[in-house]
Amino acid sequence: MKRFFARNAPAYVFLLPWLIGFFLLALGPILASLYLSFTRYDMVSAPRWIGWGNYEYMFTRDRRFWKALEVTFTYVALAVPARLIMALGVAMLLDKGLRTIGLYRAIFYLPSLLGASIAIAILWRQLFAADGVVNQVLAMVGIQGASWITDPDTSLYTLVVLAMWQFGSPMLIFLAGLRGIPRDLYEAAEIDGTPGWRQFTRITLPLLAPVIFFNLVLQTIEAFKTFSSAFIISNGTGAPSDSLLFYTVYLFNEAFKFFRMGYASALAWFLLVIIAAFTAIAFFTSKYWVHYENERD
Amino acid sequence: MTKLTRRALLGTIGAAAAASALPAMPVFAADRSIRHYWWGNPERDKRTFAVIDTFQKKNAGIAVSGETIGWGDYWTKMATQTAGRNMADLVQMDYRFLFEYVNRGALKPLDEFAGKSLMIADFDKGPLDGGRVDGKLYALNIGSNSQVMVHNTRAFQEAGIDTDLINWTWDDFAKVCEKITAKSGGKMKGSDDLSLMIETFESWVRQNGREFYGPDGKVTATAGDVTGWWQMWADLRKAGVVRDKNKTVILDPPIAESGVAVGDTAMSHYWSNQLVGIQAVSKDKIGAAMVPHKAGGKPGQFIKPSMFLSLSRDAKDTEAAIAYMNAWVNDPEITGILGLERGIPCSPKIRAALAPKLTEVEKLSVDYFTAIQSKVGPLPLPAPKGAGEVRDAFMRIGTDVVLGKVEVAKAAGTFIEDAQAIVERAQ
Repeated sequence: MKRFFARNAPAYVFLLPWLIGFFLLALGPILASLYLSFTRYDMVSAPRWIGWGNYEYMFTRDRRFWKALEVTFTYVALAVPARLIMALGVAMLLDKGLRTIGLYRAIFYLPSLLGASIAIAILWRQLFAADGVVNQVLAMVGIQGASWITDPDTSLYTLVVLAMWQFGSPMLIFLAGLRGIPRDLYEAAEIDGTPGWRQFTRITLPLLAPVIFFNLVLQTIEAFKTFSSAFIISNGTGAPSDSLLFYTVYLFNEAFKFFRMGYASALAWFLLVIIAAFTAIAFFTSKYWVHYENERD
Repeated sequence: MTKLTRRALLGTIGAAAAASALPAMPVFAADRSIRHYWWGNPERDKRTFAVIDTFQKKNAGIAVSGETIGWGDYWTKMATQTAGRNMADLVQMDYRFLFEYVNRGALKPLDEFAGKSLMIADFDKGPLDGGRVDGKLYALNIGSNSQVMVHNTRAFQEAGIDTDLINWTWDDFAKVCEKITAKSGGKMKGSDDLSLMIETFESWVRQNGREFYGPDGKVTATAGDVTGWWQMWADLRKAGVVRDKNKTVILDPPIAESGVAVGDTAMSHYWSNQLVGIQAVSKDKIGAAMVPHKAGGKPGQFIKPSMFLSLSRDAKDTEAAIAYMNAWVNDPEITGILGLERGIPCSPKIRAALAPKLTEVEKLSVDYFTAIQSKVGPLPLPAPKGAGEVRDAFMRIGTDVVLGKVEVAKAAGTFIEDAQAIVERAQ
């Protein structure tokens, strides 16, 4: 024990700022929110213990909670695959050995940097408005466009398109993964006369599986946490008709608009459970479809 | 590229999942400085900042910093600041939200300053008492107002409309909408679609002889009231004489995007103190009409305190804050700058001082105010806790009705149920 500390003390000293930050700014509030999720708390009067009351209300009486789940799951189911396919597609194009690849990488990564910003969400709202750019372009080819943002049937898809457009970071990871696949495999396939799409399904996909898995998990977590774009585009309320009522938007409204901090904490903990469950499913099923090169030896 | 191992992968994912945003640091104010937070529009902001300049010149030791934002985001930001114990010293308050904030303990009563540093003894009693909760003065009236159907006088003239706009009924309103739409060949519709406007709907309920909220704070409006309201607008939409539904479902748009300002429609609904602001962004001269009456019904509209100044729980230098507050309602130079933009002041002295200097549109609002005095009903009881959420529900469910996604009667039933549940849960 003594030797352990003697050997590691400098490391802990260097870690100290992070440790303080973690315990004070992360772990403390996290535990507090767990406690608050069992209380009724409006931020002014003291929290009142109500046991499982918040969770009970959530599952049995809160229609908007179920609506929020529906919206969020639909979004995750559409946006994650869309973004990954887009990212993989562009990564494969860039992997063809372009000379100016650095430039293209930067250009394609740009939307991901911008995408999270407030300005882009506002721009998005303008683009897809009833008299926005999208409809003006459609009108030029004689199509009468819908009112994408204000129609509850289409509003969510505008956000899926926004998510698709921000394929930069998974693309970079895919690109790195593609670079790691030994070229001789393709050369051998070429000599055997294997067609391109079979090279893709038999060489690229299996060898890329760990990277796909990594991207899938990260992007799923990310998608569940989508907030700012939905918040801006829906005017902070989930409008129209709750079609953009993302779980996080609902949580924010409960907390900061209606002062139900206890209930909002309960919502937050349930979101954690959902994300944990999805990540766990991904990990448990991964042994059937993800193969690591170093484990084959 | 190095080969990915399971362990490296797990580590990276774990680290990414653990990363979280840090809260922003609060800004610490210097001594003898106060913050004033209000919801505004370009015209109001210009005047308010001019007031701040004037006050600072007269009170060299006090620095005032103004924070302004549109109505749509005002309450969200306010709630966040309240939660973070970082409220501005002086906040602009609305009758609808006053009681929620008092119940939450976010405001300080003003009674101890009255007659000492806050001179309000000669103010009109009715409007002043609108700021009392449980007998204590929590909010200082800085103007009264009422609802108004703002209309484009040029369009009305061209369509040859001679309806009495103070005593008109909803039937007259529908006819006016038809005439204007027909006259302009459909380019300009008669009116904005007020389906989602709960304030106007509340007047509708009063016209039917009920209050929206009963004395015990329960919802007393009926599904029948809601059905009548939404059905009337559905019929007008069907006739094509009100604004496009896609514009209607944009919630709480800024004044500059209202139908009258843009020129889409000849009528929009606003509050009388907004007349100055709307005229500033409209091309044509505007006029003021009452919310139409129900033939044979009760008066629905009422005069209410439009805006208050309240002292927040987080105010540190209350002395400076009260000095600023007092100047707002008593200093002739400052009230001169403010004019009637925030509503009609409740100090008779100030009103008399303003009269000769009124602009055309200010005169319009004073005349309108005088004309409606005998046509309005009493001030309703303050809305209970949860009223803000009920307003959201009205707009949310109303959106489905406007877009034709749900039957009117069914949506009306859902709304009343939801509203009752919201109010019950908020207590």
